[in-house]
Amino acid sequence: MIEPSTHLRDKYALVGAGHSKLGKVPGVSAQGLLEEAMLNALDDAGLTTREVDGLICRGPDEIYTFHQVMGERLGIDVSFSTTLTNGGASQVMGVALAAMAIDAGMASCVLVGYGRDNWSRVHANKENHMRSSGRPQQMYGMEFGPEFGYYGAIAAHGFGAQRHMHEYGTTREQFGAISVAFRDHAIKNPDAVMQKPLTIEDYLAGRMIVEPFSLFDCSLQTDAAGAVVVTSTERAKDLRQKPVLIKGFGTGNNISGWFNDNNMTHTGAIQSGKAAYKMAGVSPMDIDYAQIYDCFTYMVLVQLEDYGFCKKGEGGEFVSSGALALDGILPTNTSGGQLSEAHVEGMLQIVEGVRQLQGIYGPKRQVPNAEIGLVSGHGGNTVCESTLILGAM
Amino acid sequence: MSDNYKKAMPVPGPESVPFWEGAKNHQLMAQKCLRCHHHWFPPSSVCTSCGSRDIEWVVLSGKGTVFSFVVFHRLYHKGWDGEIPYVVGVIELKEGARMLSNIIGVPVENVKCDMPVEVVFDDVTEKLTLPKFKPV
Repeated sequence: MIEPSTHLRDKYALVGAGHSKLGKVPGVSAQGLLEEAMLNALDDAGLTTREVDGLICRGPDEIYTFHQVMGERLGIDVSFSTTLTNGGASQVMGVALAAMAIDAGMASCVLVGYGRDNWSRVHANKENHMRSSGRPQQMYGMEFGPEFGYYGAIAAHGFGAQRHMHEYGTTREQFGAISVAFRDHAIKNPDAVMQKPLTIEDYLAGRMIVEPFSLFDCSLQTDAAGAVVVTSTERAKDLRQKPVLIKGFGTGNNISGWFNDNNMTHTGAIQSGKAAYKMAGVSPMDIDYAQIYDCFTYMVLVQLEDYGFCKKGEGGEFVSSGALALDGILPTNTSGGQLSEAHVEGMLQIVEGVRQLQGIYGPKRQVPNAEIGLVSGHGGNTVCESTLILGAM
Repeated sequence: MSDNYKKAMPVPGPESVPFWEGAKNHQLMAQKCLRCHHHWFPPSSVCTSCGSRDIEWVVLSGKGTVFSFVVFHRLYHKGWDGEIPYVVGVIELKEGARMLSNIIGVPVENVKCDMPVEVVFDDVTEKLTLPKFKPV
């Protein structure tokens, strides 16, 4: 059993957050989008590229050593830099890694960000659309998947949803409650891609894609980028924004496989959450809001269980109770999430987690009296999780 | 058997050749640990339960249950045109190993988790046989 190092608690902070234009942004590369987000994050902090000595990022998977591409564009040499490849768990992990690098004396001011041009590349032509959205799950190379017509992250996550429905009686209406709650949040966020109200009837009428998931269970395909700046809490006190403390973080990686044991219904969030809570010295009861990785509705439901916001198997009732609304007991994905704001594999949820504690929103979007928030990253093809617990200064 | 098979062909890794050769002979193969008798899939060089390297390929019973499944309503590959909706499942074999395959021979709305199934071998080309599963 691992013991997270509590000496890191509150020692490092997020001092700036930014995002690019979101949605359909033709004519801008993933690099260009990330550059915009990074510069916005630095502006938010009152810093420039000249003060950055660490760069942790991620971009399209086919670009080799993406951080080098970004460093060249920004014109910076840094002491610490890497590209992470842990799927949707990379971004929260990037913030954790930034804190660890600063603690080890490897850097003092680290930019963390992710940019992708998924809408533009998928919609460039019809052939791209089919190829990209039908990307086989390359867990085992080019076998044990595509020959059986198994395509897309949607199917892998669908297995988990189906098993959860079977074991705990979870329903599609309960998945729908998640989509509806996040759409309500998106409508309050002028930058969110989806601005049309969504009812549970709309959800249920959505066309089936890969059952049990229909159109409204699926996150968006967007061009988007997000970035944050990490430095020491000591230094943060002199910067522009109210610092947002990194209280704790954790990781959990069920890389024995999604098909193994009960990993489909008991995710890496169990271990990741325990570690993060312990480092932060808090429990689920202390969390004022959550930004939960929502590639598909089911992943929200199961992570809420695994983070201890409700009992295992009771996620369906929890999400249907109104808990996720801005005035609910656990306001969740308060900018609309990947289901309704934009999808940059969790990076925008870190940005939103920071902004809620910067206290920059008016009453329409602000979680009342928010002091502690949880941000999750999930992915690496279904089995990797990372968790961040943030606190107000 | 068809000469104009349009679905994706598997590209076997070197470690999985016994599985595909077995399928051609209508045998469902997986690896077994000689120390703890654990069976697993996909192939590797070590027992995924106890860590022993004392392992061998064995023929499985071909009987199991549906651990989970999804129903494809959208066409992702033109080879499946005309076959929508189709079912992809995770099969838990009696010996314990789980593997991905198609569940066939049953209306899609009748497929359930934990439903008993058994292997059927579909010789889709002269060189390729796919192990699929149908209800018992």
